Amino acid sequence: MAILTTREVKGVGFTIPRPDGADKVTGHTRYVADLNPPGLLHAKLLRSPHAHARIVRIDTSLAKALPGVRAVLTAADIPELHPNAKTRAHAIMAIDRVVFAGQPVAAVAADELAIAQEALDLIGVEYELLPVAVDALQSMQPGAPPVADAGTEADTSEALAHSGVAATESQDDSKAVNVAQQTRLSRGDVAAGFAESDVVIEHTYRIPMVHQGYIETHSVLAEWDSAGGLTIWTSTQGSFNTRSEVADVLGLPETRIKVVPMECGGGFGAKIRALCEPIAALLARATRRPVRYVMTRREELAAGMPAPRVVMRVKSGVKRDGTLMAIEAETILDSGAFAGAVLTLNGIFLASLYRWPSFEVRGVEVLTHKPSIAAYRAPTAPHTVFAIDSQMDRLARALGLDPAEYRLRHLIDEGDPMANGQPWQKNGARACLERMIEHPLWTGRAEWAASGGRDGRGLRGTGLAVGGWIPGIQPCSATIKLNPDGTLNVVTGQVDIAGTNVGLAQIAATAYGVDFEQVSIVTADTDSAPLAGLSAGSKVTYTMGAAVMAAARDAREQTFKIAADDLEAAPEDLEIVDGRVVVRGVPERSLSLADIGKKTNAFMSNVPPVLGVGSLGFSQQAPAFAAQLARIEVDPDTGLVVLHDFVAVQDVGKAINPLGIEGQMQGGAVQSLGIALTEELQFDDDGRLMNPSLLDYRKLTAADVPDIETIMVEVPAPAGPFGARGVGEPPIVPAPAAVANAIEDATGVRITELPLTPERVALALLARPSEDGLSA
Amino acid sequence: MSDAATTRRKIQVTVNGRQAEGEAEPRKLLSDFIREDLGLTGTHVGCEHGVCGACTVLLDGEPVRTCLMFAVQADGHDLLTVEGLAPGPDQLHPIQEAFWERHGLQCGFCTPGFLLTIKVYLAENPDPTEREVREALSGNLCRCTGYQNIVKATLRAAEILRSEPENADKASTKTTQRD
Repeated sequence: MAILTTREVKGVGFTIPRPDGADKVTGHTRYVADLNPPGLLHAKLLRSPHAHARIVRIDTSLAKALPGVRAVLTAADIPELHPNAKTRAHAIMAIDRVVFAGQPVAAVAADELAIAQEALDLIGVEYELLPVAVDALQSMQPGAPPVADAGTEADTSEALAHSGVAATESQDDSKAVNVAQQTRLSRGDVAAGFAESDVVIEHTYRIPMVHQGYIETHSVLAEWDSAGGLTIWTSTQGSFNTRSEVADVLGLPETRIKVVPMECGGGFGAKIRALCEPIAALLARATRRPVRYVMTRREELAAGMPAPRVVMRVKSGVKRDGTLMAIEAETILDSGAFAGAVLTLNGIFLASLYRWPSFEVRGVEVLTHKPSIAAYRAPTAPHTVFAIDSQMDRLARALGLDPAEYRLRHLIDEGDPMANGQPWQKNGARACLERMIEHPLWTGRAEWAASGGRDGRGLRGTGLAVGGWIPGIQPCSATIKLNPDGTLNVVTGQVDIAGTNVGLAQIAATAYGVDFEQVSIVTADTDSAPLAGLSAGSKVTYTMGAAVMAAARDAREQTFKIAADDLEAAPEDLEIVDGRVVVRGVPERSLSLADIGKKTNAFMSNVPPVLGVGSLGFSQQAPAFAAQLARIEVDPDTGLVVLHDFVAVQDVGKAINPLGIEGQMQGGAVQSLGIALTEELQFDDDGRLMNPSLLDYRKLTAADVPDIETIMVEVPAPAGPFGARGVGEPPIVPAPAAVANAIEDATGVRITELPLTPERVALALLARPSEDGLSA
Repeated sequence: MSDAATTRRKIQVTVNGRQAEGEAEPRKLLSDFIREDLGLTGTHVGCEHGVCGACTVLLDGEPVRTCLMFAVQADGHDLLTVEGLAPGPDQLHPIQEAFWERHGLQCGFCTPGFLLTIKVYLAENPDPTEREVREALSGNLCRCTGYQNIVKATLRAAEILRSEPENADKASTKTTQRD
């Protein structure tokens, strides 16, 4: 798409601090927990301490009698609640059986939080313990204790909403107990491929459940009006999606619900789906008061919606000269108590990130008695790339080939078939890797490895990895109006979770032809905004950016039409220069945007207001890739992996606001490093979380990480606004593989289980020399 | 719950330079008192167990985690919250200015805790290295930024404060722009 302005305005491509920063540094930004309407009640949920149990009896009489308690609800009080809940949001509360430790069994609304908390202690619940299935392998076996109610359909809308890449095959037959979904992607003769291979490497990769880690816990406030309308203020990644889900759960028409998206204190995928909205609404209905529910951190960790545990057995075979022959993989994705994982992308990246002529990848989503999962920034891609990139690195080392050159040789290009048969769209995977290979930290890796480290005893290494995501698409719309003072105002329903509003304003500025300062943007509630999709799947700039661009072009045309009459010129002869509509080549014939804006708002005027509308559907996705490099040192005694340097290269298509993208790349990289190094939700044999605090669930701090060097490459996305691609998800993908590759470079030891904790690394070092996994 | 735990106590504090008075049960946390009774919601609660640092305020000039203190412990003391950091309305403290300009924030939830931690740190260490800043901030968690622009913003704030030391307590040279 061509840039429409005749001179460069301050818009696309400029580094602009986010306008909402002023409120954020002064404490004025309002989050849900900051809302304090008159009559506010505070909610608490009583959660099951057991992972699997029958509820024999619940006695709420003492809690109800506590002064200050306004409502106590159990499943028996909620007619909207049905067995066979397909999502966590639908399973508002356990009916007669709890299926994970932390599942709500009762809810309280009280005048004060402390009273609500006290009321929980007064609720008596008698449980009959049932056998648990905590590990997915165990849960898949015949006779394993069931998780879902018999007859529950797996919910796959998350997978579709997030990425929209369809599988060509799925297997619904011969479902074992607790298997929610199965997929299989295959091509060619895998057996023959392995038979003709000279080198075959097989590993099993394991990644535990991790939490998305946003600092603002799930928070919601609900209130009903006298006419039966429900307003929900919530921390969400998609207000229209929340509205639809709550409407479905509560059996309400969507017009009866207004969702007001508050500032989202981090979501990273976990705030796509509704979670606490239904119970807050029900408590508000029962009390006829506004009810606020804010999860505690302990509840977040024990009963949030983390990323799934993933186990992948991957076997790959190549010729002595490196020619790829065959890959076979089995993925077991442990989704906890409710289905909803993105399974297909795992198969696509395993089988078709590199050009395997034959492959067979099978995936199963398994339910266990653990908290159910949600998306986490490129869901399962860090896991998948940990496996496939580790395989490529091992193959290159086994063959004595340069690991980066080896990847480059076999990496996909535009037009290559994905495992599901669709062609790869234009992308920058190769450009990212090529850029990384030139980096001095890569070309200087031998010197680093030889430099010996602290006291000459450290083990130094360098690793890189390449991975990415196929961002989603979703229809959306935006409006833009010209104000009487000549400024512009963009309205969307798109929640800004990543600084995207400033980028959208920049797009509007450039497409209309004014400087960024002339444009304001607001995220409106579901009653006021045109439809918008989720702020997820790295698609806000790609989709809403295009809608805003279309709206700005529409507004520009309307503006020119008005000006053309006044200036007695054809609209196509007009341009916008410094806030004035000018007849091209005749600068003295001009009209300011304020003049035009005033005409459209003057009493008795017949000039229609400028209201640009952009309303778009999309069909073309734009894959987004990143390459990351880790230069590390391993302490040979303790196994501690110290990051010395880290480089992130990413194809952003077109950098709309480089400052915001840099922030995404750095933040994503550190989340990726957290998956690599420290993060793990640890469950005991009874399915209870053993580390439900941030002391024991270890997130990386500023002291744990070095500077992240960010390098953007721009391979324009054909359908992206100004060529922009999604940037949010790719940076969380490569680091686990890059660090594992660096550890092998440093120590000769390959570790296939995350996180790469000192204990795990030290044990692996002790076990050297290990069997090298080569069958040739 | 015993009466001793629920009998409300009078609490007097100086907050952001002004006298304030409230009543709270002895079990009420200082974070909740600041947010609910003083109405200063810029102090955020991220973990309720003293790890994330989002609820950090200054008590008699020292950073404290208000989720680990009871409101009654603040009785008679001086509090500074994020709302009191700027030298005046339409003005920003250099740390605030640096965080905004250097993109040291994204979702903004952890930001107030960082700002107050940094205020004390830079007063004691006006010219830190990057490594020292990283260590100093390792008690505050951020999930959006990867810390890098927080570190850069801190170094930038140190630079402004060194060049214009009066900025620490007086007006910043730049006014707040509300878009």
